[in-house]
Amino acid sequence: MTVAVATVITGEGLAARRALRDARIRGVIFAAFGVLAFYLASSSLNTAAKFSFWLDEQGGQSLPITTTVGLLWIVAGVAAGVVGLLQFLRGAAFRWRPWLILVVAPWIVALLAGLLAGKPANLSGTLSGSLELAVPLTLGAMAGILSERSGMFNIALEGKMLVGACVASVVSSLVMLATGNGLVSTLVGIMVAMAASGLLGLLLAWLGIRHKVDQIIAGTVINIGAVGITNFLFLRFLSRNTQYNQPPSVEAMRLPLLSEIPVLGPILFSNRPYVYVVYFVVIALTYMLFRTRWGLRLRASGEKPQAAGTVGINVIAIRYRSLLLAGLICGLAGSYLSMASGGRFGMEIAAGKGYIALAAVIFGAWHPVGAFAAALVFGFAGTTQTLLSVLGVDVPPQLLNSVPYLVTIVVVAGVVGRVRGPAAAGQPYEQG
Amino acid sequence: MSRITGTLRKAVFPILAVITALLFGAVVIILTDFKNLALIGTDPAAGIGGAVGGVINGYGAMLTGAFGDPARIGTALRTMTPADIATAIRPITETLVATTPLIFVGLAVAISFRAGMFNIGGDGQVMMGGMGATLAAFVLQNQVPGFVILIVAIIVGALFGAFWGFIAGFLKARTGAHEVITTIMLNYIAAQVVFFALRSPTLRQPGSTAPVSKNMQSFVDVPLIINLPAIRLDYSFIVALIMAAVVSWLLFKTTKGFELRASGFNMTAARYAGMSAGGSMMLAMALSGGLAGMAGSFLAVGTVGQLSLDLAGGIGFNAIALALLAGLRPGGVVLAALLFGALTNGGKLMGIQSGVPFDLLFFIMALVIMFVAAPGLIRTIWRIKVSKPAPELALTQQPVASE
Amino acid sequence: MRLELRDITKRFPGVLANDKISISADRGKVLGLLGENGAGKTTLMNILSGLYKPDSGQIFIDGEERVFGDPAAAINAGVGMVHQHFMLVPVFDVVEAVALGSEPVSGPLGAFNRGAARKRILELSAQYKLEVNPDARIESLPVGVRQRVEILKALYRHSDILVLDEPSAVLTPYETEELFTIIRSLKETGTTIIFITHKLNEVLEVADDIVVLRRGRIAGQADPKTATRQELANLMVGRDVELIVPKGPAKPGNVVLAVKDLHVRDDRLEMAVKGIDLDVRAGEIVAIAGVQGNGQTELVEAITGLRTIDSGEMTIGGEHVEKASPREVSDLGVAHIPEDRGRDGLIAYMSIAENYILDTYHRAPYSKRGIFDLKAVKAGAEKGVKDFDIRTPSIETYAASLSGGNQQKVVVAREFSVPVQLVIAAQPTRGLDVGSIEYIHRRIIEQRDAGAAILIVSTELDEVLAVGDRIAVMFDGKIVGVLEGDDATYENLGLLMGGADSGAAPSTPPGTGVAA
Repeated sequence: MTVAVATVITGEGLAARRALRDARIRGVIFAAFGVLAFYLASSSLNTAAKFSFWLDEQGGQSLPITTTVGLLWIVAGVAAGVVGLLQFLRGAAFRWRPWLILVVAPWIVALLAGLLAGKPANLSGTLSGSLELAVPLTLGAMAGILSERSGMFNIALEGKMLVGACVASVVSSLVMLATGNGLVSTLVGIMVAMAASGLLGLLLAWLGIRHKVDQIIAGTVINIGAVGITNFLFLRFLSRNTQYNQPPSVEAMRLPLLSEIPVLGPILFSNRPYVYVVYFVVIALTYMLFRTRWGLRLRASGEKPQAAGTVGINVIAIRYRSLLLAGLICGLAGSYLSMASGGRFGMEIAAGKGYIALAAVIFGAWHPVGAFAAALVFGFAGTTQTLLSVLGVDVPPQLLNSVPYLVTIVVVAGVVGRVRGPAAAGQPYEQG
Repeated sequence: MSRITGTLRKAVFPILAVITALLFGAVVIILTDFKNLALIGTDPAAGIGGAVGGVINGYGAMLTGAFGDPARIGTALRTMTPADIATAIRPITETLVATTPLIFVGLAVAISFRAGMFNIGGDGQVMMGGMGATLAAFVLQNQVPGFVILIVAIIVGALFGAFWGFIAGFLKARTGAHEVITTIMLNYIAAQVVFFALRSPTLRQPGSTAPVSKNMQSFVDVPLIINLPAIRLDYSFIVALIMAAVVSWLLFKTTKGFELRASGFNMTAARYAGMSAGGSMMLAMALSGGLAGMAGSFLAVGTVGQLSLDLAGGIGFNAIALALLAGLRPGGVVLAALLFGALTNGGKLMGIQSGVPFDLLFFIMALVIMFVAAPGLIRTIWRIKVSKPAPELALTQQPVASE
Repeated sequence: MRLELRDITKRFPGVLANDKISISADRGKVLGLLGENGAGKTTLMNILSGLYKPDSGQIFIDGEERVFGDPAAAINAGVGMVHQHFMLVPVFDVVEAVALGSEPVSGPLGAFNRGAARKRILELSAQYKLEVNPDARIESLPVGVRQRVEILKALYRHSDILVLDEPSAVLTPYETEELFTIIRSLKETGTTIIFITHKLNEVLEVADDIVVLRRGRIAGQADPKTATRQELANLMVGRDVELIVPKGPAKPGNVVLAVKDLHVRDDRLEMAVKGIDLDVRAGEIVAIAGVQGNGQTELVEAITGLRTIDSGEMTIGGEHVEKASPREVSDLGVAHIPEDRGRDGLIAYMSIAENYILDTYHRAPYSKRGIFDLKAVKAGAEKGVKDFDIRTPSIETYAASLSGGNQQKVVVAREFSVPVQLVIAAQPTRGLDVGSIEYIHRRIIEQRDAGAAILIVSTELDEVLAVGDRIAVMFDGKIVGVLEGDDATYENLGLLMGGADSGAAPSTPPGTGVAA
C-alpha cells in the first residue's frame, strides 16, 4: 500500500541530500569569495603589482611579472567562481578539498599584491621560505598521521620536537668540538635527536597502552616535561657554555639538474636538504599507508583494533612501532628547528609548532599529501609576514603571528568542512 | 580514628607521587652537574659528594626559600624589630603569595576536569584576566576611589578570563573541537593580544623596551594582610580560600554542580536524564576561565602591579598537576597549592642561589601528573599497595570490551 | 575436521567463566551451544579462537593437541570465528576487510596485492553462493551482507571449523533462514560448525547435537530430534521456568501516548521511522517487537524528547510533545528505561544515591532553588534500595560495582520513584539473568495495574510474548502489524518481523549490495 511511496522518499537519498546541502553551502562560500574578489578588483585596477621570480638561481637573473592588483583580483574571482560553479554542478560528489588550492592561492597572491600596493617583491624567496617553514610542520604532521592512523592520539608532538631540537643542537655541537667535521656532527646530532624523540614516543605508548593513561594526559606529561627539562638544561648549562649550543648549521643545497629548472628550480630544489627529506617522507608515507600490507594493518588498528586483533594482527605492537616511528620523525623535525632555522637551541623553540602540525593533520584529512598542503599554507603565512615587514608594510606583527593559531582553531572546529578521523584513535585496546 | 587513618591512607599516594618526582628531579640535577661528574674519573668521592651536595644545595635553597632561614628567625625572635620579623617571615608569606594564584587556577582546572573538559589554557585565561583588570584600572584611573577601581578591575578581569574559557567550551559543545587544542591555541593568541594591547601608549611603560604596562600601584592595590616592610601577602589569598569553599559548595551542594559532574562522567546519560551537557561544558569552561582570570586580575593589579607578557608564567600547567594531585577536590586543591606554592617560591631561591634553574619544577610537575595518572608506577617503584585514586579523575580510560 | 575441547577451565577475577568444559564436534556437523547470557559461551569461543588462554584444559583438532597462544595460531589451525559484533573495519572495502591479516603481497615493500585477494574472494563467493560486491565499503552494507563477509573472511583463511557466535541477533527471520541455508551448504563441504545461541528454536532447527551451558558448566546435552523447547529451557536456567509470566488481563483506559504519522531520522539522517501511528492506553502494555535496527531506537528517542522529529504528532496525556525536551517529557510523568543502561541510564562512577536522583534531582524534596537537601537525597535513595531489593553495601557505592541486575534495578527504582502515567522501557531485561528478568517484568506489570500506560520495546520474542497485552511489530521503520497478546505466536510474529505483511515476503532482502 504505502510501501512503495515510502521507499521512494527514503533509501540512500537522505544522507546524500544532506551532503548536497553542505555542498551548496560550500558553493555559496566559493562564489562569495569570487564576488568579493571582483569587488576588490574594481578599486584597484590601476594599482601596479610587481612580482618577480629568480630564473635559475637565487640572486641571479630574475623573471619580472608586472600586472595590476585589479587583474589579480579578477583572476582570483574567476578561479573562485569556477570552483564554485563546479561545486554547484557536481554537487556532493565534488571532491572539493584538492580544488581549494585553486581558490586560496590566487586569493592570497591578490591579497599580497593589494597589501604591497605597488612595491616590487621577489616571491621566489617567499615561496621557498614557505617550504622551509613547512618542514617542521609537515614532519610533525606525518608523525601525527602515523600515530592517529594506528589509534593513538599524539598531542606530544610539541614536546618531542622540543627535546629533539635540544638534543640535536647539543650533540652536534659536542661532536663538532671533538671532530671538527661538520657533516658527521650534523648527522650524529640528527640521529641522536631522533633516538631521543623516539624514546619519548615509546614512553607515550607505554603510558597509554601499558598503564592505560588517557592519551591526552600522557601527551601533556611529555609536553610539560619537555619544556621543563629543556629550559632547565638551557639555563643551567647552555646559556653559560654557548660553545655547546653552536651546532654546524645546515645550509641550502641545490639539487643538480632539478634546481636548474627555470623558476621552479630556485623555489623547489634549492633548499636545505630537509625539504628534500620532506618530499620523500610525504611520498613514502602515502605509498606505505595506502598501498602496502603494513599500511592496511596500521589503518585497521586505528579504525577497528578488534577486527585486526581477531585475525591475529598484533595491534599493540603496531601502536608501539608507530609511536616509535612518529617519535623519530618528530626528532628530525626538532633538529630542523635548532640546526637549520634557529641556528641554535633556544628555550621553547617549538613555539606551538607541534600543535599546528596537529591542525595540519586534521585539515589534511589524515592524508600525508593533504597535511603537507596545509603545512605549506601555514608556512606561507609565516613568510608573508617577513616579506611584508621587510618591505615596510605596516601590519601589526601580533595580528599575523596569531593567524596560524586562529586558523588551527577554525580547522579543529570543523568550520571548513568536517572530516572523520580514525575511529579508534585515543581508545585503549586490550589484547586477550 | 579510623577516619583519620583513612584520610592518611588517601594522602599516602599523592605524597609518594611528589616525593618520587622530587627524587627524579634530584637525579636530573646530579646528571647535569658536569663539573662534579667530570671529577668522578679522578676523584670519585669528591665527584659524587659534590654532585649530591649540589642536590642538597638546590633543594636546601628551595626549603629555605619556601619556609625561612632558621638563623633569621632566631634574629627576629631576639630583636623583635619589624624589619627583622619581616625578614624572618617573608619566605612563608612569599610562599602564600605564590600559593594564591595556584589556588585560583587549580580550582579552575579542577572544575573543568569535573565537567569532563581538560582546560590546558590556564595561562591564556590568566593573561586575559590580567589584561581585563589592567584595562579597567586605566579606564577608571582618577575617576573613582581606589577600592572601586580594585573591585571593578577584578570583576572585569574575571569576565575576560571567563570569556576566554567560554570560547573553548562553546567550540567543544557546538563543534566538538577538542578543548586541548583550542585552549593551547588560545594561550598563544592571548599572548599576542596582550602584546598588541601593550603597544598602546596609554598602557605601555614609557621608555621600557620590554612590553610591560605602567605600574598601577599608585592608584590601585590589594590591601595587605600583614603590614610589615617587604611583605606582599594581600587579601587575594583570603579571596582564594573563599573561592575554594564556593567551588566546593557549587560542585557538591547545588544542582548545577551535579549536572556539571554528571555530564563530565557520562554525557549521554546526562542527556537522557534531561540535562544539557553542552550547557554544562560551556558553564564549566566559563567558570574555569573566570577563576583563572581572577588570578590574573589579582596578579596584575596586586602582587605584580603591572601587566606583562610573563604574567602567567606557566601557572596553567602547574595547576593541572596540582588539581590532579588534589583528586579534583577543592580542599585538596588548597593543600596541593600550598605545596606547589612552597615549591614555586623556594624554586626561585634555588634558581638564584644554587644554579639549579627554576624550570626544573616544570619537569617535576610533569612527573607528578604522570605518577598520578599511572598509579601502577608508584606501586612498582615503592613496592606497596596504594589505594587507587578516585575514578573521578578519569585519567585512565575505560577499556573497550574486547568481546 | 573433528574438534574436541577437553576440560577447559577459565577464571576471571571473581568469576569462574568456564569450569571443566568438554565438547566435541565431528566433521560436517553442527554443534549447537546453548546458554543464557553469562553462561560462558563467549568465553569458551574466545579460547577456541585464541583470544584468551585457558587456565587449564586442552584443544584437539583431528585428534592432535593444539595450543592457541594468539588468534593467528587458531586461524592457522583452521578455526574461523564469526563474532556476534562484526569484526570488520567499517571504512575498508570488502576486499580489504576480508584479506586483512592474510594479505597477499608483492614486491620488496610488501605491496598489498589487491587483485589476487579480489580474485580469490570472487571464487569463494561463487563456490559457496555467498553473493557480495567485493568493492563495496563495509559500512554501506546491510547487516545480513556483512555477516556473509564475515563468513567469507573465515573461508578465505581456509577455516574448516567455523564458530558462529549469536549469528542471528541482528538478522531478520528471513535473513536467518538464509543463514541456515548457508550453514547447511557449508556442512556439505565438510565444514564443522559451532553454533552459539540463546534461542531455542534455532538450535532445534539447525544443530546436529546440542550442548547446554549454565554458569560456566555443562548443564546437559540434548538431541535436537527428540528434545523439546521446555526441556532445553529448563536445562538452560537450571530449574523449571515458566516461559510466560502470570499476569491478569489488561484493563485499558484512556489513551496516554498517541503517536500519529511520525517520521524520525537516524544519526546518518536517513529516515528511520517512516510514518508510525501508535496509541498506548492507561493500564495496558504495548510491546514493540522487531529485529534491532528497524527504527525502534529512534522511535523511543523521539517520544522521550532525545531526538528531533521530522514530522508527525505526538501527545502524552493530551499534551503535545513534538518539540519537548527530555526534561519536559520526564516532568509529564514519563519513566524511561533506556536501551543501554551502562551508557545511557547510569553514571558508573557516581554513587547509587546520585544515580537514584539522576533525573529527579531538580525537584522537591531533593533540591530547592538549585540547592540540594542532602538528607532528603539520602532518605530517598535508601527507600529505593529497600523497595527494590538492590543488593549493595551502601548507597554511597559506585553504580559500576553492582551486578547488571542490580544496576537495572537502580534504573527502574529511579524511574518508578515518582508517579508516572507512561513507562517507556527499551530492552529492559537485556543481558540479565532469569531471576532479574522476572523481577523487572513483575515491577512493570505492577505499574500497569496501577494505571500507567506501558510501552516496551524488545528484540526478544520471549519477552514480548511474556508481557505484551498488545504486540506491534516494527519493520523498516513502520509498524507492519498489531496482534492481541493472546493471538501472538513465534510464527506469526516472526513472519511480521521479516516484513511479511508489507506486501508479501520479499524475494530478496532489501539492499543486498550485490554487484550487478
